[in-house]
Parts: sequence; C-alpha cells; structure tokens
Amino acid sequence: MSSDVILVIVVATALAFDFTNGFHDTANVVATSISTGAARPSVAIGFASLLNFVGAFISISVAATVAKDVVNAEVITTTIVFAGLIGAIAWNLITWYFGLPSSSSHALIGGVVGSAVAAAGFDAILAEGLVGKVLVPAVVAPVVAFLVAGFAIGLSYRVVGRQRPGIVTRGYRYGQVISGGLLALAHGTNDAQKTMGVITLALIAAGKLGSEADPPTWVIVASATAIALGTYSGGWRIIKTTGTRIIKMDAAQGFSAQGAGAAVILASTHFGFPLSTTHVINGGVMGSGAAKRLSAVRWGVAGNILVAWLLTLPMAALIGALTYGFTRIFGTGALGPVLVTLMALSLVVAAFARRAQRGAPVTAAGG
Amino acid sequence: MIATIVQWKELGQTVAASVVAGVGITFAFSVGIWGSGQFIELSRNDRPVAATVAGVVGALALLCVAGAVIVGIVVMTQK
Repeated sequence: MSSDVILVIVVATALAFDFTNGFHDTANVVATSISTGAARPSVAIGFASLLNFVGAFISISVAATVAKDVVNAEVITTTIVFAGLIGAIAWNLITWYFGLPSSSSHALIGGVVGSAVAAAGFDAILAEGLVGKVLVPAVVAPVVAFLVAGFAIGLSYRVVGRQRPGIVTRGYRYGQVISGGLLALAHGTNDAQKTMGVITLALIAAGKLGSEADPPTWVIVASATAIALGTYSGGWRIIKTTGTRIIKMDAAQGFSAQGAGAAVILASTHFGFPLSTTHVINGGVMGSGAAKRLSAVRWGVAGNILVAWLLTLPMAALIGALTYGFTRIFGTGALGPVLVTLMALSLVVAAFARRAQRGAPVTAAGG
Repeated sequence: MIATIVQWKELGQTVAASVVAGVGITFAFSVGIWGSGQFIELSRNDRPVAATVAGVVGALALLCVAGAVIVGIVVMTQK
C-alpha cells in the first residue's frame, strides 16, 4: 500500500517535472521565431505545443537510456526516483525564476544520480551509460550546433547576399515555420522521453514492470500531454533571454540556428542520447551570431548561461541527495515523500506569487 | 578509460548526420530563396528563359528541403 502511494506521488511528480520542462524549454523552441518576427508569440507557442505532443510519440530510444543505462535499476526505489525528481524540479524553478535557460534534462539526470548515490553509494551509478550516453554528448552537442549553425549561416549569406533584402527576410521567415516546427518536434521527442524513462524506472522499481520493459502506452500519452501543456504555458522571461539578449537575430540566423538545433537533437535522439535541448539551441543561436560578427554575441549573457549549465548537474544532484536524506528521516514509507510534496507545492505557490508581484509573465494565452 | 566508454560510432554518426542535415537543409533552402528572388528579378527584366531556369533550380532546392525533412522524420520513427 505504502509503495503504491509513493508510486502515485512519483508519477504525479514526474508529470509535474515534464510540465515544468515544457514550460522552461518553450524558449528553446520559439524564441528565435518570435525574435525575428517570423511568428506572433501566441501562434509560435501554440504550434510548438502541438508539435511537442506529436514529437513525444516518434521514438523511445532516449526513454530506454534514462530507464536502463544511467542508474542501476536493481538498487533504485521509488523514493530515490521521487527525490531525484524534486532535485530536478527545484533547480528548474530556481533557474526559471532568474530567467536562465539551464538544462531540464541535466537537472533530471543530476537529481536522480544524486539521490541514487545518497541512497546506495556510487555503485548505483552505471558509469558507462552516464559518461558515454549523457556527459560526453552533453559537451559535444552544443559545440556541433554552434559549428553547424555558424557554417550554415555563412553559406546562406553567400547564396542570398545579392538578393533584395525584402524577399530574403520573407523567405527565411516562412522557412522558420519549418525549422521551428522541426525543433518543436525534436524537443518533444527528446525531452518527453526523459519523463517516460523516469516513470518507467519507477514502475520497474515498484515491481510493476520487468527490468527490460519499454514505457507503457499510458506513460507515453501522459508525458506527451504534460510537456505540451507546459510548453503552451511557456515562460516569457527565458524567451527574452534566448531570443534577444544573446544576439539580435535576423530571419536567416533564426532559420540556421533552429535548423542546426533540430538536426543535432533529432540525430542524437535516434541514437538514444538524452541531451539538453537548451544547450543545443543556445549553441546554435551563438553560432549563427558569431559567424556574422563575434561581437554580435553578448558574451556576458552567454557566460551567465554557461555558469548555469555547469551548475545544473551538481546542484540538482545535491538537492536530490538532500531530499532523499530528508525523506529517510521519516522511514521508508510514504510519509517522507508526502511531506516533501506538500513543502514543494508551498514553495512553488510562493515563487509564483512573488513572480506575479514583480510583473505578469506573457503567456501563450496572453499573446 | 573514457575512450572505451564513449560510443564513438554512434557519436560520430550523430555528428555526421547533424552536419549534413543542418548545413544541407539551410543551404538548400537558401538556394530556394535565391531561385525565387532571381525568378522575380529576371521576369521583371524580361528574361523569361533565365527566369525559368532560376525558378526551376529554386523549386528543386525547396523540394530537396521537403524531402530531407520527410526522410528525417521517417528515419526517426523506425528505431
């Protein structure tokens, strides 16, 4: 009975994380389209939300990596998964509050790794999967996006350089419907799968699924819905950072940044690498800016983002470990997770209330 | 140790696919815009043959973009 209660809390928390992931990462998907004038915020966010939902259904490779290749499923309990999720959500909300586009994916993996180490020591970690499938691709992917976007925009300027600016801008704005759509699809498939993977891990830990099982259909549908709803409710603060504060983009740069981002994320998803969509699209944005003029990139803002990236894994791991330690004060039953959930909900409400006092966010509904 | 842990083959294929698709699609789309611009410009200058050639090149490039997007999504769904 107690383990079932924890499992229900874990599934609800995972879906809440998925919602915050969509909410937090809306910027990655729509910022460039909005900042170049290719789409109005409400249209871009609605379109991205729909394609996030569709994207969640096209692959389960990343879910398999998260569920089976990062931590040892045999020593994982539902409480460990719960504590990891709290670590990820807490870090997501902290970075959202300060308007920093850090990685939800690394927060999730950091949280689960931290709580697993706190519970079972370093033996709980599958180093091969963590390093080979998460950490190395995490470094490589944004660099590749940076180079691809930079090279692509350089080539584009050569091809269309002598055309009338009007037709070029209009053309790339239309193109951003395609590149933005692909990016939303890529985001949906890579990021929603991380939640699918975590829920699957919890179901395996609770003995509801075999250790080699794939995510059940209800898990896929629920994850797709949560990320799509989160995206639709997206955060304007991070959109502003990604869309205007790193560089001021033209439509061609927006197209190349989104195209590079989508290509990197889709290719990585195909091979089951759970990388950060945030890192990749920001790499693309910086690449398309740096190729035009190095000084066009506001490196100070880029530096702040880099610091947030570097802090994400260890901070989420620390919060996950502390959360696990706190829940164990109340034994192995459901009391600890229930108390943490209530405390987390109180903090979320307080954060939203404080944010609302500082200025109402622009949401999809608000245009 | 890291060298043995990293899945170099998959990582290399990911990088190669990203470069080919990311640069290729942007290049092809740019050629599509160039073709459209040239078609309009040359038509205005009363050069119908050159305008048609530019238009066809542009249209083919845009078809390549559409094809690449479709192939990419199909490949994604097959694993």
